[in-house]
Amino acid sequence: MLHFQIDPHSGVPVYRQLMDQMKYYIASSTLSSGDRLPSIREMAKTLAVNPTTIVKAYTELAHEGVIDMQHGKGAFVSEASGRMSEREKEKAIRRLARQLVVEARQMGAPKERVIEIVTQELDGTL
Amino acid sequence: MSESAIRVTGVRKKYRDGAQALDGLNLNVPRGVVYGLIGRNGAGKTTLLRTLMGLLRADRGEALILERDFWTASALERTVAAYVPQALKIHTWMTTGELCEYASHFYPEWDHRYARELAERFETPWEQPVASLSGGEQRKASLVAAFAARTDVLLLDEPAAGLDPIARRRLIDEIVEVISDRPECTVIVSTHIISDLERLAEVIGVMSDGVMTLESRVDDLQSSIRRVQIIFDDAPPPDLTIPNAIRFEIDGPVVTAVVRDAHSLLGRWRGQDGVRVNEFPIGLEDAVIELLGRKAPSRESE
Repeated sequence: MLHFQIDPHSGVPVYRQLMDQMKYYIASSTLSSGDRLPSIREMAKTLAVNPTTIVKAYTELAHEGVIDMQHGKGAFVSEASGRMSEREKEKAIRRLARQLVVEARQMGAPKERVIEIVTQELDGTL
Repeated sequence: MSESAIRVTGVRKKYRDGAQALDGLNLNVPRGVVYGLIGRNGAGKTTLLRTLMGLLRADRGEALILERDFWTASALERTVAAYVPQALKIHTWMTTGELCEYASHFYPEWDHRYARELAERFETPWEQPVASLSGGEQRKASLVAAFAARTDVLLLDEPAAGLDPIARRRLIDEIVEVISDRPECTVIVSTHIISDLERLAEVIGVMSDGVMTLESRVDDLQSSIRRVQIIFDDAPPPDLTIPNAIRFEIDGPVVTAVVRDAHSLLGRWRGQDGVRVNEFPIGLEDAVIELLGRKAPSRESE
């Protein structure tokens, strides 16, 4: 099973940590459309967390269209996971970009440098 | 179906020495929930669990497990719950195996194969008298008997105390196993090891001085509590207010605050000239320390 890291001191709810890591695996093509995800039980046992936490992570991911939950069959990376609706994608990225811009401005980082760093990150992960 | 597994209403308990251990405590735990009970030593956690189990009689109020008052319930009715006390005081002359054999007569759902399996996984000596085992091993023997009883409700009083890190992880694994197999099983676990609760508990309750001072879903608590630092180029404005602050301090130009719902505070100061704002997430353990560290709220809030 893919490795998921639970950091008890991060202040991020465990279900959020799992969602972020799942998205990272999809964004970096470690997981692709149609791949079957571990069962809730399997995840709960391997990670030693309450199964309701896994249910919550999976439900939220399904709600966001990242995975499909098929009754009796399990959870799969959705066909559309790579292509969220353009508007949704834009909305999500814009929110993160705004956060980045505010932080960067506070630190007084020059615009060119910020763009450079974002480009490097894009080239590094995708 | 949101039937209560545990329902405690206005329970008061004073010990003979005059200590008011429970002071009008209320608690409601729905079925199938893992509930983490936190509080400093002497907050009343053990008294609460012992009262629920019918080992102590409440002076006032009602403490029910699956709608049964264990003080008056029959032996058969009481088999819906198993309890792991902080220290095993009775029957310690029995071996782990004999203790299990003895317990098996009380619990209709007793699972002997599971008891053997668990003892093996916990590496608990089966054929040695419990009294001859170390504190941690005694705790494990007691856990084996509680889990193998296959009850609907489990009350665990600091089950991880005295366990080494490996045994502690096995304990978490077993609790996960129990709730995966039987989602209707309700677990109340009192502990000082808050990082364990992050994995297990859906809801935590913080007790102090015999009352519940805070109850929250673990997710909600983590998403809402933040440490925020605001640094002003000049002095902070004299009329500065910090909404939803659990605690804040001003040290020259630096204002540090621990807040519930940091959103409004950040919105107010972020992006302003002459002000720098940083936000830091807080782990559950630090959040609980902040919450416990502050002055206990007045009694009217009960």
